Amino acid sequence: MKLLRNRLAFAAGTLLFAAWCSFSACPRLLMAQDLESAQLLNPPPDSWPLYHGDYSGERHSRLTQITPGNAGDLSLAWAFQTGQNADIKSSPLLVDGVLYFTVPDHVWAVDALSGHMIWHYYRRSTKGLHIGHRGVGMYKGWLYFTTPDCHLIALNAKDGTVYWDKVFADVDRGYWSTMSPLVVGDHVIVGVSGDFDNLPGYLRSLDAETGDTQWQWDATPPAGTLNSPTGGMTWMTGTYDPGLNLVYWGTGNPTPVLNGRPRPGNDLYTCSIVALNPDTGKLVWSFQPSPHDTHDWDAVETPVLVDGDFHGRPRKMLMQASRNGYFFVLDRTTGKGLLTTTFGPVNWSLGVDAQGEPIPNPEKEPAPDGRLIAPDEGGLTNFRAPSFDPKTGLFIVDAHPSYSIYFAKPADGAYGWAGADYGLWGKGVIEAIDYETGKIRWRHEVGPGGSGAGVLTTDSGLTITGDSAGNVLALDTASGKTLWHAGTGSGMSSSPICYELDGREYIVTGSGSVLFAWALPENGNATR
Amino acid sequence: MKQIKEISLIAILAVSIASALAVQAAGQAPQPANEAAGAVSAGNALFQQNCAFCHGRDAMGGETGPDLTQSKLVRSDTTGEKIAAVVRAGRPDNKMPAFNFSAQQIDSLVAYLRARIAAARAGDRRGVDPSDLQTGNVAAGMAYFNGAGGCSNCHSPTGDLAGIATRYQGLQLEERMLYPKGAKSTVAVTLPSGQTISGTLAYLDEFTVALRDSGGTYRSWPTNQVKYRVDAPVDAHVTLFSKYTDDDIHNLMAYLQTLR
Repeated sequence: MKLLRNRLAFAAGTLLFAAWCSFSACPRLLMAQDLESAQLLNPPPDSWPLYHGDYSGERHSRLTQITPGNAGDLSLAWAFQTGQNADIKSSPLLVDGVLYFTVPDHVWAVDALSGHMIWHYYRRSTKGLHIGHRGVGMYKGWLYFTTPDCHLIALNAKDGTVYWDKVFADVDRGYWSTMSPLVVGDHVIVGVSGDFDNLPGYLRSLDAETGDTQWQWDATPPAGTLNSPTGGMTWMTGTYDPGLNLVYWGTGNPTPVLNGRPRPGNDLYTCSIVALNPDTGKLVWSFQPSPHDTHDWDAVETPVLVDGDFHGRPRKMLMQASRNGYFFVLDRTTGKGLLTTTFGPVNWSLGVDAQGEPIPNPEKEPAPDGRLIAPDEGGLTNFRAPSFDPKTGLFIVDAHPSYSIYFAKPADGAYGWAGADYGLWGKGVIEAIDYETGKIRWRHEVGPGGSGAGVLTTDSGLTITGDSAGNVLALDTASGKTLWHAGTGSGMSSSPICYELDGREYIVTGSGSVLFAWALPENGNATR
Repeated sequence: MKQIKEISLIAILAVSIASALAVQAAGQAPQPANEAAGAVSAGNALFQQNCAFCHGRDAMGGETGPDLTQSKLVRSDTTGEKIAAVVRAGRPDNKMPAFNFSAQQIDSLVAYLRARIAAARAGDRRGVDPSDLQTGNVAAGMAYFNGAGGCSNCHSPTGDLAGIATRYQGLQLEERMLYPKGAKSTVAVTLPSGQTISGTLAYLDEFTVALRDSGGTYRSWPTNQVKYRVDAPVDAHVTLFSKYTDDDIHNLMAYLQTLR
């Protein structure tokens, strides 16, 4: 309790400081590149201290300098060229004037004012899939960086030197890692990937200072358990409610992936949203967006935490737009389902059960001669972040209506992928979902093939995202209409962030191998 | 005389190096067994890091990526150049990124793929064999083609689809039947003057529309300055997605496979 009281006092103090900062062009006083728990609990406007921006996962900025009225004047403040080929899939962190972002094997520290590089850390990993990287976590003066070969490296934020290096999964067994660790108190929580082997997914908490293992939560029984799945990979970053002291995490699909026969039943806790105690790793409740999944539809999309009314009653909610095409609203205290609805074409279910969980249609499991499935394997949405806008009550997601064919036959076996699937067609649509009804209030088409852009919303009524042609878009949150765009030459595969620095609001997006900072011109002149 | 000798020596060296590099780049130099094994091993490592996520760890298909051991392009590529071209350019329409690998790296990937093709046994295959796709009924497929499917509105078994099953087989035929990637659309653009220009749609996003006119010239306009109407016959395939039963699809496949 004492720790909580101190945290509250810190939080209150930080809130007052942050409030003062937002009214004046507050100079950056904290030059130490340090991040305390209080800042994580209540991020000041001149920060983006974790992957989601804050623990709620709403990816909603309180900043109002850029508005629907002036967004048409947005221009490039600076661009940072990484000079390498991997697409940026990370959300940068912004702490004390420095941006930290990643691609597999690389971390850059960039001066957020000028876009110039401060340091660059490169650790060549010869094992593990280099499919993408979501960014670093941060606490005090350390960054936490996962590697494809499942090391967690603590780096000194000042200069990118290594503080410690811990292995948290065995790459030779088939694990790899891409995620941005979640820091809660002194817990650095990391997750794993690994769909090509029959491996249990898990979360591990390491001590922020020493890297010692504190706890591990396993998503499935051990490999080889009769009639049980493996999998449940913990691909993405969870969210945290400090009042309830619960972390919320989505887990990935079961293995074998396309063959459900060796693992009858619901396959807990794969494709699940779980609530864990961050101090012990103990499971408090679970809900399953995709029971007995046979289509690779991870339920790892952001578990967005929203406090608000649901049908006239105040609720602490958790919302997820899931890969399998369903949008869920849960009570995050108990895990009880409040609303389950589809947000695009879905043809694989027989409906929804009394708990609000979908019922998979056995006729739509992968078959030797193929089954037409909506959505495709990439899903109705994927790792690109959604955003919740409290003013309009809209949950805004970059959706991918799509169709595919899925195959599995006995010769494909029961190990790893165990089948084959092929996308036929898809497109991208930004959808604004009314969270109380599931109705889609507006749609904004973003192109054939689909867009990889995440969504950010702001208090002034802006929605920032991107289309499939490489345009960054500022939309009006109320109507979905385009207010501004800029062609960046490559589609976004990451989610935008927003912060204020020296009295100027910046929106930062990454597309291709370049990081872009957008802002209004200063004093009506061209960007300095 | 000394200078000429030196120049000759340098020239000989340069030509030797150049030809050695050229031979290496073409991947045709015969390699001793241990060098070949080294290339496969290096290719395996590179493949696991960069390709396995989509193409599977054994190159037989993974998340969204096809089984390379059954790929016509891979199997017919005797020099490695076709594979190199795809790896270097990517396949943007299919979400495959471009990879800036060196000639040696690409050689190692080619060696690895060849080893995978050799190792793949029929019973192990996780790809889709034409024999997997023979569960439909020809008569029912023909009835669907001419009836509920509406295919005969645009297609003819003696016209555009004559010989289709000779041109495409198995999974490739079924994929094209369900959605033919690369199908062209046309567009008519009306300028503020009232003049209308028509052509093949060359580019379209929210802000720019472009066509190739009858002469093949590329022309583009801001979408907020013109009116435009796109005619995309391929959209009929998309409309069918929500209407097909799986039996309809298998029956259609059975029918199309008679059009040899």
